[in-house]
Amino acid sequence: MNNGRHLASTLGALAAVLVAAACQDGASPTAQSITAGVKPGPSSCVNFRLTGGGRVDKLEPATGKNPPASHDYATFGFQARPDRNCPFDNAGSGNIEWNEHLDASFIYGGGFAFHGTVTFFSTPVDGTQTNPQCGRFGGTGRLNPRSGNTLENLPFEVRHACDVAEPGVQQDHIYIVIGPFADGSFYSRHSLLTGGNIQWHRLTGNN
Amino acid sequence: MTLKILLALTLLAGAVQAQSVTGQAFGTYVNVAGTTSQSPVATLPSTGGMATGMSDAFGVPGSVDAKALNAVTTGDVGNKKSGAQSTSELENVSVAGGAITADVVTAVTASYAGQFTGGAGGDGSGFVNLVVNGVAITTDVAPNTRVDLPGVGYAVLNEQTPMGDGVTSWGITVNMVHVFLQDALTGLNTGEIIVGSASSSVAN
Repeated sequence: MNNGRHLASTLGALAAVLVAAACQDGASPTAQSITAGVKPGPSSCVNFRLTGGGRVDKLEPATGKNPPASHDYATFGFQARPDRNCPFDNAGSGNIEWNEHLDASFIYGGGFAFHGTVTFFSTPVDGTQTNPQCGRFGGTGRLNPRSGNTLENLPFEVRHACDVAEPGVQQDHIYIVIGPFADGSFYSRHSLLTGGNIQWHRLTGNN
Repeated sequence: MTLKILLALTLLAGAVQAQSVTGQAFGTYVNVAGTTSQSPVATLPSTGGMATGMSDAFGVPGSVDAKALNAVTTGDVGNKKSGAQSTSELENVSVAGGAITADVVTAVTASYAGQFTGGAGGDGSGFVNLVVNGVAITTDVAPNTRVDLPGVGYAVLNEQTPMGDGVTSWGITVNMVHVFLQDALTGLNTGEIIVGSASSSVAN
């Protein structure tokens, strides 16, 4: 629980925030399904995409790597974009890989590898929403723990991934939440990059 | 006036210039006595996107043994900037019959190009609980650190090889462990072992 962050005990309050955030901008498929009685209109999706990969260590705004023996870091790679057909508001596509090394990173311990599929993609709804080069996306995925059984269909949300500058080390940042797990807890990590990069690209005519 | 037109054309060309990206990552590569073995490789499509290569375990007796191999590369080609980034990770690593061991090996590279500048680096690469010849290495390993491995050959740790001309192209390859196997009598290279490899590059 270094820096009081990222681990398994954020619990129900965070769940409420996540649900509220999803409903606030109609970003999730669930939010779409509860609009019964409303005549469907043209759906809308954002006009940018994000890619990124690298490493994160300390809780933002701290920078730098944690001591290696702590195992307190994660690596990741992702691509996320609006769905080309935009079947519902903020429909998204893409993938994320998240590899956590901290032993105490969730209820079973031992770190994990998470493989997520993106289903929604939008602008952020948190404190980064005024940054034009940040995005938010999420969906569900499979978590393979170093110990314990594989968990399927776990929700995840990258609450923001921000392309602040080039190169991205100690400037770009990402905030991911995975869960809830069986005990109602969540995993999260919110850090500046200690390696790698995040890039924001505006969509053009053919991409 | 002519100068202004040339400047405008140059800026316009810069705005629509074609860029390309490459990326690759893998956990282990072994070439011993002409026989090669390699764990899954993640290779970035030339148009950008994402690729992964993963394996629960990988081993070549006497050469390398590792678990939880995870290789990821992502990238994008845009009108104004492009980038590629790759990561390779392995756990419970043993190399060259245990001459080198580590709890975790992590290789990270990132390369980017804008309209007028670019760069590449291996920040984020490192070891967890690295032991070489029975000696624990508790500090970060400087790029291109050579260590002798008696009876085996030598290794370059955190091997970093820049790519590109630094003007229109940038890139880097990081091999966290690169063992050069040598004949004990002749000193000639007889093979190699690479563990934790990530590379990326961009070009305008």
